[in-house]
Amino acid sequence: MPTAESSAHGRAPSPLGMAVDCRAVSFSYEEARSPICALRQVSFTLRPGGSLALLGASGSGKSTLLAVLRGLDETEAGVVLLDGMEPGGAAYEALRRQVGLVFQVPELQLFAMTARDDVAFGPRCLGWEEPAVGDAVEEAMTLAGLPPSEFAERHPYALSGGEQRRLALAGVLAMRPRLLLLDEPFVSLDPVTRRELVAILIRLRQRGVTLMLATHDIDLAWELCDELLLLEQGRVLAAGPWGFDAASARPLAGARLKEPFLVQLWRRLGRDPASAPRSAAEAAEALA
Amino acid sequence: MLVSISGLHYRYPGARADALADLELGIGPGELLAVVGANGSGKSTLARLIGGLEKPGAARHAIACGHDLLTLAGRQRARRDVGVLFQNPDNQLVADCVEDDIAFGLENLCWPPDDMQARVDEMLCRFELSDLRQREPHLLSGGQKQRAALAGVLAIPRQVLVLDEPTAMLDPGGRAEVLAAVDDLRADGLAIVYVTQEMDEVVGADRVLALEHGTAVFAGPVAELFADVDLVRRLGLGLPAAGELAVALAGRGRVLRGLPLTLDALVEALAVAT
Repeated sequence: MPTAESSAHGRAPSPLGMAVDCRAVSFSYEEARSPICALRQVSFTLRPGGSLALLGASGSGKSTLLAVLRGLDETEAGVVLLDGMEPGGAAYEALRRQVGLVFQVPELQLFAMTARDDVAFGPRCLGWEEPAVGDAVEEAMTLAGLPPSEFAERHPYALSGGEQRRLALAGVLAMRPRLLLLDEPFVSLDPVTRRELVAILIRLRQRGVTLMLATHDIDLAWELCDELLLLEQGRVLAAGPWGFDAASARPLAGARLKEPFLVQLWRRLGRDPASAPRSAAEAAEALA
Repeated sequence: MLVSISGLHYRYPGARADALADLELGIGPGELLAVVGANGSGKSTLARLIGGLEKPGAARHAIACGHDLLTLAGRQRARRDVGVLFQNPDNQLVADCVEDDIAFGLENLCWPPDDMQARVDEMLCRFELSDLRQREPHLLSGGQKQRAALAGVLAIPRQVLVLDEPTAMLDPGGRAEVLAAVDDLRADGLAIVYVTQEMDEVVGADRVLALEHGTAVFAGPVAELFADVDLVRRLGLGLPAAGELAVALAGRGRVLRGLPLTLDALVEALAVAT
């Protein structure tokens, strides 16, 4: 994983996780019969090592925002600052390469003959040489719960669905992202594999990687993320801490989103929803 | 029984083991059968077989809507009475716009144009797609695609509906719509086979079938499956959120009466003096 020394072009060492400052970003898809405005002046910030749940109905702009943050699409207005740096120039491009994006159903992108080669693809494209590539692959596969000794030589298509999902994630982790963007990472996973993926993301968060997670699973978002960014038709409805409290209007109701199960439970039990636990284990501790 | 299957075997060409072995299944009008199991347990294979999309390897009998799934003619007829919705709508949307895609099946069945238009309008309305009727499918979000695909499957009147993780890519609002639509269809008398990884969605089913490596290891009431926590874990499953909390509490020495599967039941169980 990146150390405090890995920084762009001789600046002072950066914290492990990248800071994001998204300022009034707008983006439209031009190819339709009439342009579709997918993002309208979206602004939010994310501190180094922070974790942000990207929420919103289908079509609200979540995937588009992740693509823009990763630099796959250029904004038509507004800017995305990474570690406080504005776009333009080699230093910014170097930071962009430290942003990892895990697409929806990422196992559709597995293509190599062995798991090792698939995971190595990213680092090799970045121009890394052996043994740095080998180290990155080992580390990433281990972090993703795929011990290299067991999985390195296996054919990706011979793995189970859950293993493929984790292999695709390893392919992104091998590039040592300081900002990890995940687009619906839990879709199509069985409950046990889902918990395994949650554990991996918690480990990354503990290491200080900045996380941004688009998901419809409000309970996993609540467990993994300190803050939220709620989009509706490309606009920001809410940004920042979750904001549940006994008195205020429920922040998610306007977007047809239910509150996390544990928040609902805390309300029903007459406890302060702002202090609701993040996981079943935490809840059990509080209620036992 | 709308679907009656006994002793079903299926093996993918070139595979070393059966994807389904000795499977038994029965479902009647208005019933919702949930099918659960880890990735690779055979759920999607079973869905395809019930829909007449694969030829069974062998079976004592395999009947869907009165059609024999062991014969080609039977499978072809079954495909009309049994609708199947897959996980990935990209594989099911074929036309240039949503409206045309919904009409696709009806056109193939030679519906009169007026009837077809009325049915398409009904489906667009039911799935809140009216504003998107002219939209190109590749410009829809994942959830919108799934709704469009479902509308297309249901445009043809069905007796049985097989849904393979239909809400996987939907937002909670879309998920609620699909579940409400499924409830309506159940009330209309359709038999529904509902493959899912979402344990909260299993709670409302009449019965649940749990698969492990292609065999049925449980068939019966939902509460009974969830009560066997060891089995649930072994199968790669979880419990509904209320159940997971109850199990975590038991681990800390606070055992609730019964295993609550919903928020209401959990609140009630917690209210009982310890």
